Amino acid sequence: MDSNKISRRQFLGSAAVAAGFTVVPRYVLGGPRNVPPSEKLNIACIGVGGMGASDSQQVSTENIVALCDVDSKNAAETFKKFPNARKYSDFRQMLEKEKNIDAVTVSTPDNTHAVAAMMAIKMGKHVYCQKPLAHDVFEVRKLTEAAREHKVMTQMGIQLHATEALKLLVEIIKSGMIGNVQRVDIWSNKNWGGGTRPIETPLVPDWLDWDLWLGPAPQRPYHPTYQPGNWRRWWDFGTGTLGDMGCHIIDPAYWALDLSYPVSVEAHPGKFNNETYPEATIVRWEFPARGNLPPVVVTWYDGENMPPRPEELEQDRKLPDQGGLYYGEKGTILAPHMDGPRLIPESKMKGFKPPRQLFPRDVDHYQEWVRACKGGAKPLANFDYSGPLTETILLGNVAARAGEKLSWDGPNCKVTNVPEANKYLQRQYRKGWTL
Amino acid sequence: MGSAAAAAFTIVPRYVLGGPGNTPPSEKLNIAGIGIAGRGAGVLEGVQSQNIVALCDVDWKHAADTFNRYPAAKKYRDFRKMLEEEGKNIDAVTVATPDHVHAVASMMAIKMGKHVYCEKPLTHSVYEARKVAEAAREHKVATQMGNQGQASEETRLMCEYIWDGAIGPVREVHVWTDRPSQGLFNVYWPQGVDRPKDEPPVPETLDWDLWLGPAPYRPYHPCYLPFAWRGWWDFGTGALGDIGCHSIDPIFRALKLGHPTSVEASCTLVNKETYPVASTVHYQFPARGDMPPVKLTWYDGGLRPPRPEELEEGQEFGEGGILFVGDKGKMLGHRLIPASKMKDYGRPPQKIPRSPGHFEEWIEACKGGKPAGSNFDHAGLLAQAVLLGNVALRVELREKLTRMKLNWDGPNMKITNLPEANQLLQREYRKGWTL
Repeated sequence: MDSNKISRRQFLGSAAVAAGFTVVPRYVLGGPRNVPPSEKLNIACIGVGGMGASDSQQVSTENIVALCDVDSKNAAETFKKFPNARKYSDFRQMLEKEKNIDAVTVSTPDNTHAVAAMMAIKMGKHVYCQKPLAHDVFEVRKLTEAAREHKVMTQMGIQLHATEALKLLVEIIKSGMIGNVQRVDIWSNKNWGGGTRPIETPLVPDWLDWDLWLGPAPQRPYHPTYQPGNWRRWWDFGTGTLGDMGCHIIDPAYWALDLSYPVSVEAHPGKFNNETYPEATIVRWEFPARGNLPPVVVTWYDGENMPPRPEELEQDRKLPDQGGLYYGEKGTILAPHMDGPRLIPESKMKGFKPPRQLFPRDVDHYQEWVRACKGGAKPLANFDYSGPLTETILLGNVAARAGEKLSWDGPNCKVTNVPEANKYLQRQYRKGWTL
Repeated sequence: MGSAAAAAFTIVPRYVLGGPGNTPPSEKLNIAGIGIAGRGAGVLEGVQSQNIVALCDVDWKHAADTFNRYPAAKKYRDFRKMLEEEGKNIDAVTVATPDHVHAVASMMAIKMGKHVYCEKPLTHSVYEARKVAEAAREHKVATQMGNQGQASEETRLMCEYIWDGAIGPVREVHVWTDRPSQGLFNVYWPQGVDRPKDEPPVPETLDWDLWLGPAPYRPYHPCYLPFAWRGWWDFGTGALGDIGCHSIDPIFRALKLGHPTSVEASCTLVNKETYPVASTVHYQFPARGDMPPVKLTWYDGGLRPPRPEELEEGQEFGEGGILFVGDKGKMLGHRLIPASKMKDYGRPPQKIPRSPGHFEEWIEACKGGKPAGSNFDHAGLLAQAVLLGNVALRVELREKLTRMKLNWDGPNMKITNLPEANQLLQREYRKGWTL
């Protein structure tokens, strides 16, 4: 490995190293303005409808000084909620004009995450960015590197990462209660796939700046099928079910098992086309041994396809619609999405004692980031953690398009066995857009 | 079912062949064809060395080419009328209708003492498969299901490698097809779609009522025929029924399988009209003789098992295939992997006689020869297992099957842990139709 490349171990390897990162030395805070905990941050929000409405609300403990959205109808409620914030439709204009911003939130469709977050990072702004961190693997890698270089505080929008349920799951596995884990099955019943491009070309409504909505994506005529809320299923804008739910449900496996780059990825998608994602996919990643931890295989099922029922699971007990199964040498954990982990069968929970806490429970996911921006501990889902997580997830989409099992050279961000698959790591931006 | 019983079924004693009028090998059989276009034309071609004396199809336009090919054969629309009128003149029938008519047509012929060649899957429902197989045994007719791969060298090699211990005891098998998808971007026939609302007129050349046969009445629509009926619950049996009888057949033979003990399934959104876009079905089979219990997993619609590590880079994994996982190695189709292992191993000793050909097997059996390879004692068991997978996919059981797998009492043809599921083993016939 090149000495100037950051090794996975350095950033994510053992729990000790990871823990080391949660106590960030003061000097890294030199880049952005130093805000003491007693003061409020000045925050600008990019994309404030839908999930963006919630994100701006969650950080409204601070000063919301500017809001940006390409859809004034979808943004109306948030605009109204913060009457003193200046309103913009182009985030580039907002970032140039607003001189007092300390931090930004990015809650646009996936297609625009990277360009917005990157511009802010390069200006020394702290960034909260919704999951998935970006649309392509290449963008994620660049964002991760830039955030490190510009010493800004980052957090990816996987709010469950800060919850008791997830921390407990990670602590159980790290405690060795179920022994070494070499197999994880993860599934989501969501289906962000299927569909063909509409033929009709209705007029763009006057509340929407369609060109800005497209951002770096190739030009195509406006249609209400994309916006709001349905862009996830389109290759040009979203990242499918995997990009949507994978960041949430694969996150605990990544965290608990100290995963970083996989060595291989293969996808077996149901039918799809050049416009929309598959309606169902099985994706399988192989991760190498990490320190004393053995190699592990993570398998993802979506579109209502499920992994086989574990033999330990009692008859008449429902597998949740979304979740994970962690198969250890000494036991199996069922971790429903958004709910607490259970050893299975349930009889194993008798006399269950939670293991020693490894992570603080004091603040939520958003306030982790706010506090970090004021010199506090680094947020748990910072880009050094969430970058490799997102890259891994997006590789599943790359493998679906490549149609081959791919060998992955993580440190060099390269598919080594199927060179033509590398073209799916990075898309071409529309003229006028750069990272 | 134990291996002794399963084996007994594949070696049918001579006496069962006494029933119908014995045609000596020197003479030709008189054959009537039911369903003679599409696959039916291919089936007739397979037996064209015999006398084709009568032909029946509900769509005379679709059947025109076949009618022209056998100008001496009498033409019918209704197979019941044909069998009644031609009964004395025919020795055997071929059945190549859509799946939902297989059982009623085969059963009528069997009860008249006619030998039967029936396309796969043997029937539409589990119950029908059981009944048709029983009747064929009782009436001592020669039978063959249309899974022509059973006569191949490849099927024999799969058996002989496994019986020779080339990969050790097999505890896991994966079998897949991309159907109903065709590659990544096309479909053989649509699944996951809803019933059309328009009611175009029935073409003059088609007897729609006869096409429906025992299925519930519904208005004609060109979305059902030809060929696309495979995707509809009322008519076809989905990807599993279409391809399962082909690709699970060699597994049944090599591993001497009989009834499974359980089945579970998951799939993309399923409706009451069509089979899902993609599904996985897990079967458990008990120990048989000295063979250990085995798990068989079916994947369709593009879903696949993980690519085995033994398969060399660059070697195709396949749009469809079979992967045997043994204690001492893996076999992809009839090839030990990696190829070097196959080279070292050489050929296993021949234990199964080679076939004169799939159709010839049946013709010989009809003339007093030994039972054909896919006679209904074998094919009935196979079809029941395949069709049981479709029961586990039914929308009516979807919620229940998130809580359990279906436990199967094969000898008594009963789902033991979910009584209401038993009604899905059999369908109700439209008035005027009986088995």
